[in-house]
Amino acid sequence: MFAEENGLHGDPRIKAISDAIRVVPHFPKPGIMFQDITTLLLDPKAFRYTVDIFVDRYRDKNISVVAGVEARGFMFGPPIALAIGAKFVPLRKPRKLPGEVISEAYVLEYGTDCLEMHVGAVQPGESVLIVDDLVATGGTLSAAIRLLERVGAEVVECACVIGLPLVKGNWRLNGVPLYVLVEPRLDDLNMMLEQHLDDGYI
Amino acid sequence: MNTLKIFNSDIIILKPKRYLHSANFFINPLKSPAHSFLSNCQKKQSISSHMAAAAAAGDRISRITSAIRVIPDFPKPGILFQDITTLLLDPVAFKDTIDLFVERYKDKDISVVAGVEARGFIFGPPIALALGAKFVPMRKPKKLPGPVISEEYTLEYGTDKIEMHVGAVEAGDRALVIDDLIATGGTLCAAISLLERVGSHVVECACVIELPELKGRDRLGDKPLFVLVSSS
Repeated sequence: MFAEENGLHGDPRIKAISDAIRVVPHFPKPGIMFQDITTLLLDPKAFRYTVDIFVDRYRDKNISVVAGVEARGFMFGPPIALAIGAKFVPLRKPRKLPGEVISEAYVLEYGTDCLEMHVGAVQPGESVLIVDDLVATGGTLSAAIRLLERVGAEVVECACVIGLPLVKGNWRLNGVPLYVLVEPRLDDLNMMLEQHLDDGYI
Repeated sequence: MNTLKIFNSDIIILKPKRYLHSANFFINPLKSPAHSFLSNCQKKQSISSHMAAAAAAGDRISRITSAIRVIPDFPKPGILFQDITTLLLDPVAFKDTIDLFVERYKDKDISVVAGVEARGFIFGPPIALALGAKFVPMRKPKKLPGPVISEEYTLEYGTDKIEMHVGAVEAGDRALVIDDLIATGGTLCAAISLLERVGSHVVECACVIELPELKGRDRLGDKPLFVLVSSS
């Protein structure tokens, strides 16, 4: 669900967050309007608002683990974890985590990739929040959910700063609710939709 | 671990392998025997609060040190990898880590916290938020969209590069560089170089862990380094 439709309608913080995100056209390839959150991190007030909105939502939900997806999930996840007193668990690309890991593969446009988590980081029965900067197709987040469910944890919600409008109307991933602060500000929404349709993102 | 009780606070005496690095004080139990405090009542008040503060910081460092896991032969044989993910699984120790950095830098007018990919992204943003500073990610090549500046640095075999966004840091910004660990100092030197090239002043480099045998501190030259845990 979008924050605006879920209790934060008219909240000026949402606009401040949206305005702080920079759109970089044709990155990483032609047709993609890249949603760049680094400009949000350069705005201490807007970054603070982002963390506060998530913390307000999750502080009373008995969440014991915040899992962040490499690498931009590492920027948003830890401040949330610290504020709610939860563990932070990094979900990483292959071969980055030392020691024993479990892996989950997921499908990309061409080929597959893999997400890894440390064995023993999350215990059965723990309540988990997954955090990333943006959700597009949901492929990465779905892999993250599978990883956590494999160790017997319960994923309470996935939280992202930005959600493509394509996920509107599909607010659950593998049955797990998705909470998003803002839509992308696109200069050319149609161009982006066409690109994603061609690539099979929908 | 041995403990020395002074005024009902525990001072943890760390084994020689891991010792406290702190800008404010260094606990050396051999130089501050308990009886000299007990014998002077006038000094007792200020010393006890100082010792209590020292004890509190000592407890935090001790907990942080214990929370770090060492993994042998990763990423290759002979390397003892310092794994901070177990620190992140201890909310008290993780919070203490951030607090120790924030306490040090809160009155130093830091306007930028630069974090080195990827573990610097875990420690940098909470520090930046607490200081009201910008957070700037320093990334591996081709990750940052839009115009970037790059700095190459040497590895054991070959070279690597880190990048920073053009315009993220401005001339006159006062910067802190954060990473989880300093080894040879190559990456940190590259980060410092990027920040200085755009005219900012690098106030200090801050890491959770230092591997002193790799002499990263020397490689940083005149740039100050602050670490919480030194691991030989």
